[in-house]
Amino acid sequence: MRKWGVALALAAAVPMSACVQTRQYADVQFTPPRGEYKLLVLRPDVTVGSLTTGGMIEPRADWTEQARANIIAALRAQQAGRGGKLEILERRNQLSGVSDQEVADVERLFYAVGQSIVLHKYLGAYLPTKRGKGLEYTLGEDAVRLGQKTGYDYALFMHAEDEVASTGRIALGVLGLAGCFVGFCAPNVGGAAQLDYAGLVDLHTGEVVWFNVVRAGSEVPGIKFGDLRTPQGAEQMVERLLGRMRPGRAIRRAAEQR
Amino acid sequence: MCLRCLEVSRRSLLAGGGVAAAAMATGVAQARVRPQDMVPLVGPGYRPTEKDEQGIWQLMERAEEEIAGSNLLITDPKLTGYLQNIIGTVGGPAAKDFRIYLAHIPDFNAMMFPTGFAVIFSGLLLRMRNEAQLAGVIAHESGHFLRRHMIRSWRDQRRKTDLFAIGAMAAGIGGAGAGVYLGDYVQLAQLGAILSLFQYSRAMEAEADAMGAKLIAGSGYAPVEMANIWQQLIGEETASAKYRRKHRRRGSLFDTHPSSDARLADLRADAADVTVPGRAYQNGRERYLSMIGPIRPMLLDDQVKLNDPGASQYLIETLAQDGWNGLLRYYEGEVWRLRNRRGDDARAAQSYSAAVAYPDAPADAWRWHGISLMKAGRPSEARAAFSRYLIMKPDASDAAWVRQVIG
Repeated sequence: MRKWGVALALAAAVPMSACVQTRQYADVQFTPPRGEYKLLVLRPDVTVGSLTTGGMIEPRADWTEQARANIIAALRAQQAGRGGKLEILERRNQLSGVSDQEVADVERLFYAVGQSIVLHKYLGAYLPTKRGKGLEYTLGEDAVRLGQKTGYDYALFMHAEDEVASTGRIALGVLGLAGCFVGFCAPNVGGAAQLDYAGLVDLHTGEVVWFNVVRAGSEVPGIKFGDLRTPQGAEQMVERLLGRMRPGRAIRRAAEQR
Repeated sequence: MCLRCLEVSRRSLLAGGGVAAAAMATGVAQARVRPQDMVPLVGPGYRPTEKDEQGIWQLMERAEEEIAGSNLLITDPKLTGYLQNIIGTVGGPAAKDFRIYLAHIPDFNAMMFPTGFAVIFSGLLLRMRNEAQLAGVIAHESGHFLRRHMIRSWRDQRRKTDLFAIGAMAAGIGGAGAGVYLGDYVQLAQLGAILSLFQYSRAMEAEADAMGAKLIAGSGYAPVEMANIWQQLIGEETASAKYRRKHRRRGSLFDTHPSSDARLADLRADAADVTVPGRAYQNGRERYLSMIGPIRPMLLDDQVKLNDPGASQYLIETLAQDGWNGLLRYYEGEVWRLRNRRGDDARAAQSYSAAVAYPDAPADAWRWHGISLMKAGRPSEARAAFSRYLIMKPDASDAAWVRQVIG
């Protein structure tokens, strides 16, 4: 349940405005994968829920299934354009030669490391020893072993959660807006919100070479920005999250000097 | 003015405090739920049909996948099979649908998840004195599932937060239209809503207790053992608090569970209700002890390392009501030794020497008995104890040191 901790921490940091934010970090030596690479995508961790009138999040099984299918389709389309060979796991026991427990261990390790990345890169607890070093985190031997056993070059981990404002929540916002006419103006009760993050792990070295977070939220219910239940919304999310992978700083500097 | 930012004014705090104090005075207690009224609300093979419950089930199925693969679990098939058997006996109509996991956590707890899987903490197995007590806890957890508590409390929360949000907005707008400030009332309503959520949660726990008593009595376990669990817990908490020069915590308005005292009283009454005169009830102590015997040293070891000597001592003495043995005496010594107050070394030495008089004394009892004798200036007896230790544990990590001491 560690990843819920990450999700909660990030959700708490969503600024109270209707906007979409992304911020990515990369290893200083990172070059975005291109050409003949083999990418393993661990089962995308997706939850879609409805934001109730009172502000609780009601998980919805059907919406979640739909969103996961949309995200997987969007991811396949995107990666096909880049030339990589892609496998997306639906279940943990799908890899031949690797037990589901080993896959689970790597997943849990990633979410623990991801929690550190979020804490020290996104939430302000910056570490002086990591300053100017880009992204300096590793999954260690476990990830290297997974790479050796399966022959994949990279592993991608994805998390997405989407809250859709319910009709009642939107009505509450409209009521708050109506109140503006009598001097009680409260349209900003909080509406739809989305939080996505992804990490890319180099399976030759075990290092987390790239990490990105997309946060989208609106204080006013009824404003939408990419609904994961629709193919367009999922495509937009995958594009925001993985569309523009920037190379690491050392690589960018070398490119500028040339 | 925005709805989310809560301004706490002095006036509203006073008002809130007044309400809370009034509620305290009337007491947290509520009417007892009668076991005969507790009818299971689900049948065998239950699956959710409504959207909100399906959403929760999907999340919980993921949670179960994580828990089932956790390295905190004790997976000994004999023990887990034993627990599965008990829930299969006292689980009512859903008995065959339940899954049960044993987690290595030295704490008194057990929980049921909305999809029908339960997690039992190993600390619970240390505290239960017989199978009827363990079955009581498991039946209580089954009661949560059978009475559909998770979805009912979720819906209750959703309804109350919805009502509060609408009410607060209406009060704001209505008040602004009429030119009066209703903020204080909104905050009172918020406190009321929060308190009613906790009360609802306590009501569900009371239901689960009543349902549990009914279930175990139906399976032939002595129902009064459920009340005994709470008596033991109250004793343990009192002893733990006393050692730390504190008072045992009693119930408050913000508790999710009824106080231990209330549960004890209600469960005693429940036991009287469900006991059929003339029927024989068992407590299954022999079977329980033989089942958990192999892990009891581990359970005791976990407990004494919690740095809670008051509770540890109480627990060991409670278990010893069924008879002292070498294992319990050894861990009694460990409690003193680790507590390390003035005179505790002498108390520990006494316990170790009492422990080695029993045939089931663990090897470490002989080791510490030897060390105590050395300190007391009785080297020849110490050597004998050390030799015994080496015979029992020839490849102990400190064997070389012990051999050198023996000389």
